[in-house]
Amino acid sequence: MRFTLDWLSEFVDLPTKDPERIAHALESLGHEVEGWERIEPRFEGVVVGKVLTVDAHPNADKVRVTTVDVGGEVLDIICGAWNFEAGAVVPVAKPGAVLQGDFKITRREIRGLTSNGMICSESELEIGEDASGIMVLDSDYPGATDRLGDDFRLLLPQDDVTFEVTITPNRPDCMSVYGLARELAALYDIALALPDLDYPVSDAAISVAIVDGVACPRFVGREVRGITIGSSPHPIRARLVAAGVRPISNVVDASNYAMIEFGHPTHVFDADRLGDLIVVRRAEEGEKITTLDGAERTLIAADIVVADASHPVAIAGVMGGASTEVVDETENVLVEAAYWDPPSILMTAKRLGLRSEASARFERGMDPEFCRFAADRVAKLLVDTAGGTVAGLVDEYPGRPARETIDLTMDEVERVLGVRLESELASSLLSRLGFGVSGTDPLAVDVPTRRPDVHRPVDLIEEVARLFGYDNIPARLRFGDGIGLPEQARRLRALRSLLAGAGYHEIMSFSFFGAADLDALGLPDGDPARIGINVVNPLRAEDGVMRTTLLPGLLKAASANLSKRVDDVRLFEIGKVFLPDGGVLPAQPDRLGFVAAGKPTANWEGASSGYDVYDATGLWEVIARATELADAEIRATAKAPFHPGRAADIIVGGTVLGTIGEIHPSVAATLGIEGRVIAGEIEIDPLVAERAPWRFEAPSNYPPQVFDLAFEVNDDVPARALLDAIDSAAVGLIERRRVFDVYAGDSIPEGRKSIAINLTVRAPDRTLSDNDVAPIRKRIVEAVRAATGATLRGEV
Amino acid sequence: MEPTTNLSESMDTQETLERLKAEAPALIDQVESVEALDELAAGLTGKRSPIAAGRRALGSAPPEQRRDLGRAINDVAAEIDTLLASRRDVLERAEAAAALASDRVDVTLPGRAPARGTTHVIQQVMDEIVDIFVAMGYTAATGPEIETEFYNFTALNFGAAHPSRFESDTLYLDYGHDPEGVLLRTHTSPMQARYMEQNDPPVYLVVPGRVFRRDQLDPTHSPVFHQIEGLAVDHDITFGDLKGVLAHFAHEFLGPETPVKFIPHFFPFTEPSAEMHVYTNGQWMELLGCGMVNPAVFEAVGYDPDEVTGFAFGMGADRLAMVRHGVTDLRHLFDPDQRILEQYR
Repeated sequence: MRFTLDWLSEFVDLPTKDPERIAHALESLGHEVEGWERIEPRFEGVVVGKVLTVDAHPNADKVRVTTVDVGGEVLDIICGAWNFEAGAVVPVAKPGAVLQGDFKITRREIRGLTSNGMICSESELEIGEDASGIMVLDSDYPGATDRLGDDFRLLLPQDDVTFEVTITPNRPDCMSVYGLARELAALYDIALALPDLDYPVSDAAISVAIVDGVACPRFVGREVRGITIGSSPHPIRARLVAAGVRPISNVVDASNYAMIEFGHPTHVFDADRLGDLIVVRRAEEGEKITTLDGAERTLIAADIVVADASHPVAIAGVMGGASTEVVDETENVLVEAAYWDPPSILMTAKRLGLRSEASARFERGMDPEFCRFAADRVAKLLVDTAGGTVAGLVDEYPGRPARETIDLTMDEVERVLGVRLESELASSLLSRLGFGVSGTDPLAVDVPTRRPDVHRPVDLIEEVARLFGYDNIPARLRFGDGIGLPEQARRLRALRSLLAGAGYHEIMSFSFFGAADLDALGLPDGDPARIGINVVNPLRAEDGVMRTTLLPGLLKAASANLSKRVDDVRLFEIGKVFLPDGGVLPAQPDRLGFVAAGKPTANWEGASSGYDVYDATGLWEVIARATELADAEIRATAKAPFHPGRAADIIVGGTVLGTIGEIHPSVAATLGIEGRVIAGEIEIDPLVAERAPWRFEAPSNYPPQVFDLAFEVNDDVPARALLDAIDSAAVGLIERRRVFDVYAGDSIPEGRKSIAINLTVRAPDRTLSDNDVAPIRKRIVEAVRAATGATLRGEV
Repeated sequence: MEPTTNLSESMDTQETLERLKAEAPALIDQVESVEALDELAAGLTGKRSPIAAGRRALGSAPPEQRRDLGRAINDVAAEIDTLLASRRDVLERAEAAAALASDRVDVTLPGRAPARGTTHVIQQVMDEIVDIFVAMGYTAATGPEIETEFYNFTALNFGAAHPSRFESDTLYLDYGHDPEGVLLRTHTSPMQARYMEQNDPPVYLVVPGRVFRRDQLDPTHSPVFHQIEGLAVDHDITFGDLKGVLAHFAHEFLGPETPVKFIPHFFPFTEPSAEMHVYTNGQWMELLGCGMVNPAVFEAVGYDPDEVTGFAFGMGADRLAMVRHGVTDLRHLFDPDQRILEQYR
């Protein structure tokens, strides 16, 4: 909320006028000051004058000739405004005055006569929006008549400041100038002034029947008769503008002004259009009302309405009805100040899209005890600004709240805050905030009805702490007995480092996508990734599904990079996917995804080729070694969005852990990527699972035998089959085996290929002789032949 | 280069030795390669050299001269060998130096750098913050991102009509049959309730994670962002402990002299509540929200609020990453432009 220091100062005589210190004081109470701004008139040389005569200009129709007493001097001024006559007290810019920062006022000729200055409008002085005529001060600024010749700025608030403060939702009592004044009065331990509004209790012409006492525990109506609709005086409009509220008319302004001033929203009915009975009730389902904004609203049974004998005349706490709206001809009004059930107001305002400053207050909970004062404050303003007289009062109060009393011990204060307070101090702090306190320890604390946030001792402890000062509570550094970073978390970090070390950059993409993203992947209709969880209220329809795969985000990221001419793209992401599984919550496993596209960075030694499937399987080999999943099976697979001949499933214990390989060329093309793209998506949990510590193996100190074997085999036989056969044939002896050549062509028959393997064989306990190796080699060759039908091409 | 003296053919061996001794140094000095030196050495002291011939002829020398002559041959041979070795050393060094000189390359050409990636700056910041609390004896844990409305709001003392529950603020999901609904967690705080339900006090917990709000992406808002939540519950945790622990954190994260202040605030699940502000980069900045755990939360998870007290805190990792690295627009952090990612060193 916004308000001015001048307004605040009506209620408290602050020990400082320094906005920075006031802001700090508010902040120390828990009221965040978003900012403050000095209100500095951008004019000088403007004085208070009184119009002595007004005459027609002999040579012009649109302007008049005036004489104006500016305090011991009378100036001839030609004026184009028509909203005043002789006797009006007005702001006069004398020759030499400066308006709007740099607009100098000089004597000048207007149609043959000299004008010695200018009578000013609000707009010209930049202290209001009214440009329809000049300011007439004798009505807006009582006493101006006695100050002819004085600098006009002296009539305005001096050194005024606008504050913008955010009130936390637990403190509806602070959503007003007065509420914050009360807080500051408590902080500084100074007096808080409340205007005396002792209007008589006399029967109103109207009667009120409250049907639902939960919806409306109290309804106060104050009649004000004989008003004249007009605009509010400038000081009121200026404060409203400073508060961010647009002035409308004296009646609307009075209601708004009182709400900002004291917090409690009111509604003003045209009493003559209202009838003589008000019924406060829940709406009937489907009941209709046309609200002030001209819209017809359909109500539901949970809404609260103010009705006449048959029809709603207002949606309680949310918006008034058109049928009882105050209009230009209105003379008699009823000012309503009620307490409305907060959740009902919230739900109604939200459903109708009509949340406002008023509904925001009611939904947090107003003070039922304050209703009468709130209505009378508006009545007082109407007396002052619209010429009304205060008339009857109706006050139905079926739901007066029970006063809450809370026992507060000093032990409990110490247990929560860690500092021992004397009960006298705690008692004094709470009293300053308006709590009724009796007893010593425990204190018996009576909670004001304006504090819906206080129910427990700890709520009082917060009050004590706020006023005692958080700064004054001594800090203590205390360590816990937790277990630190669990193994999975450590392994996850290591995995991230591994991928970064392998050249990949981590991205963070959003957790939702759309069906179009899955279409782009070419996923068939039945694909499990198609079964996603819909967001009920997505920000964008195209982001309406929780992601079931990381690949769309990664592939789009790769495409975006390539289109920016980042030529070598290597990205990974670790994050959750969301898979419905029938539980209370869906499965939310973490996955690792990666993508690489473009050209690996070439240097001066020569260009490099692009990425292909072996970069993907190679990356997996690095991961597998680090995560002790080196035995995972790599099995060719053909599924979207991968290239049917260049992708593999990673299989551990019969379960597919993930799929890696090249992206299908048509998918890449859809995404606007040229050339080969590799990608993969792998479950994280098995990679970071707790596992037994690795065991040390002493390396053999004996020399190895190193030899090559070249097999010829049908070209549909996977290399993996050969390698597995080799491993099984010489368990414990093969130290290293490496495919060093794969060849098909001239010397190889059609449909066959050659796979050449370099083997290092070493025994742990002796030197292997040629005689030792011969049977090993033979066993290997036999095993490979048996498993794959390969023939030995001879030792290369 | 051949020696001019043939010891075996000379009758006057002594004279031949004298000549050899006189000529050899110049011959050796003139040699300019190890290869040539090897040839010369063969001629001077090898099998067909005068030295070898002299030795062979010793047997036929008169017995009374044999000893002196033998010693003379050996002396000359030793002297020549010394000269040869010395010259060989010089020549080998020169040849090695020449080989290295011809192997020289331009070392200022770019090297063959292994490709290097980066971890995300938000992750880095989260890890660092978690580590600070781990060092203070906290346990790191993570929780589900799709959460029930119960754990996200109700268990944390949010009223049934709290505005945060609005569909305008929170992303809800069409999933399951939980009467209170399923949503994308709006903070990491649900893990407070989940963890306390499953673990007895004491609790010293730190929870990093991704959270969601229904905010349009703009320079300061994102529908997806990241928080670090903390919770300490024990038999005598006080607001003083909250201040001490969080100030220690601020000093670890931002520097030991960083001024901190605590100002009152409001959260449904803490009471009293506070914001910790820190003075950094020349201004005060809100670093985190915190407070003493509301007894209502303890009751919701089955802890006895008369037995235990605790504090909780939460902070945004994304904003801290921005502050620390001078990122002025939150959207950059979710941009996968590799030129940005490469800066996350």
